[in-house]
Amino acid sequence: MKKSVRYLAGLLALAMVVAACGDEGEGPGGDDAPHVGLVFDIGGRGDQSFNDAAAAGLDKAVAELGVTKSEASPNDDGSNRAELLQLAADESDIVIAVGFLFEGDAAAVAAENPEVNFAVVDTPMINGETNEPYSDNTAGLVFAEHEGSFLVGAAAALKSETGVIGFIGGVSGMGGLIEKFEAGFVAGARAVNPDIEIVRQYITAAPDFDGFVAPDRGREIALSMYEDNGADIIYHAAGLSGSGLFDAAKEFSEASGSKVWAIGVDSDQYNTAGDEVKDYILTSMLKRVDVAVFEIIKAHIEGNFASGPQEYDLSVDGVGYATSGGFIDDITDTLDDYKAKIVSGEIEVPTTPAP
Amino acid sequence: MKRFGALPAYVRWPIYAFVAVFVLTVSQNLDGTDRLTSVTTAQSMLRWAVPILLAGLGGLYSERAGVVNIGLEGMMIVGTWMGAWGALKFGPWWGIVAALVGGALGGLLHAVATVSFGVDHIISGVAINILAPGLTRFLSSIVEIPGWSITQSPRVPGVGSATLPILAGGKIGGWTSPDLLGWIGRKDWFLVSDLADLAKGLVTRAPWVTIGALVFVPFTVWLLWRTRFGLRLRICGEYPAAGEVQGINVYKYKYIAVIISGALAGLGGAFIAGPELSGIYLEGQTQGRGFVGLAALIFGNWKPGGVMGASLLFGYPFGIGLRDLDGSASHALILVSAVGLGLVALSAFRRGRKADAGLALSLGALSVVWYLLSDSVESVWINIFPYVIVLLVLVFFAQRLRMPAADGEIYRRGEA
Repeated sequence: MKKSVRYLAGLLALAMVVAACGDEGEGPGGDDAPHVGLVFDIGGRGDQSFNDAAAAGLDKAVAELGVTKSEASPNDDGSNRAELLQLAADESDIVIAVGFLFEGDAAAVAAENPEVNFAVVDTPMINGETNEPYSDNTAGLVFAEHEGSFLVGAAAALKSETGVIGFIGGVSGMGGLIEKFEAGFVAGARAVNPDIEIVRQYITAAPDFDGFVAPDRGREIALSMYEDNGADIIYHAAGLSGSGLFDAAKEFSEASGSKVWAIGVDSDQYNTAGDEVKDYILTSMLKRVDVAVFEIIKAHIEGNFASGPQEYDLSVDGVGYATSGGFIDDITDTLDDYKAKIVSGEIEVPTTPAP
Repeated sequence: MKRFGALPAYVRWPIYAFVAVFVLTVSQNLDGTDRLTSVTTAQSMLRWAVPILLAGLGGLYSERAGVVNIGLEGMMIVGTWMGAWGALKFGPWWGIVAALVGGALGGLLHAVATVSFGVDHIISGVAINILAPGLTRFLSSIVEIPGWSITQSPRVPGVGSATLPILAGGKIGGWTSPDLLGWIGRKDWFLVSDLADLAKGLVTRAPWVTIGALVFVPFTVWLLWRTRFGLRLRICGEYPAAGEVQGINVYKYKYIAVIISGALAGLGGAFIAGPELSGIYLEGQTQGRGFVGLAALIFGNWKPGGVMGASLLFGYPFGIGLRDLDGSASHALILVSAVGLGLVALSAFRRGRKADAGLALSLGALSVVWYLLSDSVESVWINIFPYVIVLLVLVFFAQRLRMPAADGEIYRRGEA
């Protein structure tokens, strides 16, 4: 009892501090319009990645669906995630949290606020012990990464001059999470050119998650693919380690005089990876967080909110490819043909990699 | 015949290198790969060895003056942060300077604790290792550089690299000089081409920090063994009381040594955060390389050449392991380690250490069996290979090593 009182007091104090930071309800719509609380990942608006994409989806919902909104960002070490979620739940009908790091906190806060819906970006929100959704009011916004990877795989095969392309995965054995990227990439490349050679490597195996934060190792593997295996386009699904791939593409291109490419992942890395390396980023496999955020708000308004993983695929443009830089302008027609075939079901993209 | 060990170092080291390349060449020819002695292999070996080498040299200065520096890892962490910060704020060369200064400040702290206040060296070092990640995280939270978050920096610019002219085809002005080593390497002459390839890798696109680190090895030999300063510094590690009687300011030399030690570890950190290795500052990116540097120091018998050899030995399987996409090069590496263990067994037997010889021989036999029964190596084994080598090396060579006599002892002025 005493403990919970103290917790509440702390929460209240914090709430007062944080409330000052959040934007209070803005946008059109009367009192009966649903209110959306968006909790960013560390960094908030302006990160040119998931946070900005989520903000764009919310802005679209404000404009087109007439919802009201409030926003909050965690402190620098993310230790106040649970408090921010509770704060958002107090004033919102649906709370959206950006990033899988919110999974545990969102599950806990959702259990205490059954009347509010919660959606977390980039995690299925499945309880690992029971294999069921945490509760009826928690949804995970996930993406058909294999379908997006299929398209960039096709792009790689269309653009490759050596007939060798590469894939670098961050961590293998996370329930097939990263293997999904590999599966789509391989299928897409082989759809274009059945004889294409694809070199594949994972940086680490679960439970060693260093593979997502090891640009030094990512660079070494990428250099090996360019230098020793003759690959000229490499796709990565390795988080921060991908920055090593971009370095390697630049380094090898400058040293050898023949240009090689890298393919980014998640967000449009041509715009985010840095000016020095942007010219080596052929395209990126996009996870459209903005689409997912907009769609889940729409589902909530229409009374179609469902718990557990909500997958956004090519048919709703939940995944896609980037055209920034204009390096693949000549093949977008072909890629869009493949996209239409996947949406219509003519091509079924596998989620486990072919050997 | 003169005993081999009595030969001067500049004769022994080329022989060691020659034997090593010979073993690599024979093994890879048996296995049908060319990865063990390719140009890119040498480059990657150097990339992974240099931070270990710098940490090891750092440990060398400190321990030669009698101060055990287990805080190298922490000083290296400070170096990664300072290197990235300096490079982004003022330019690439200032990143190097900032990393040296940051590491040196870590060394100064260690010196104040161990030399002036007589704190146990291990405790002070561990404290620095705990302090450093907290400090860098705090600094990350107050730094005002766009794109710098609590755990990572934006892309870090580097000071660049150089290719040796004439031998490896580097440019002199606008003129592309001949690539002599590359020409020999393409001839596929047994051993000769392999030596040329490895040598070319060492001098092709070598980052300036790498060149500096390698030049620092013979410089250290000269400084510590050929100058008055070096003699005095080493007295502090062997018999400080004798130094004091001679009128040497032991505290001063210990301070200088530990500060140099920290600066070198900091430079190693800058190498890790810079485009030489990562191209970005990331929390936790040193990955224990400061500790591996200490292992290199011990295996290298507290001598600069030894530290360099040990660093290359640790860096080599690390680079190979990452580049070995199909596990075939690592397969050939099993054969190399079998030969290596055989040589260890031979030398142990000659010195009458029968237990060691037996252990090395049985491990070598196991390696041969593993080699014959497999076609490639699982990546999990490839990843632990460098650490297995560290362990084996320490097991078999630890008894032969001689650390500075007063290393790790707390010295008080006026006790002589």
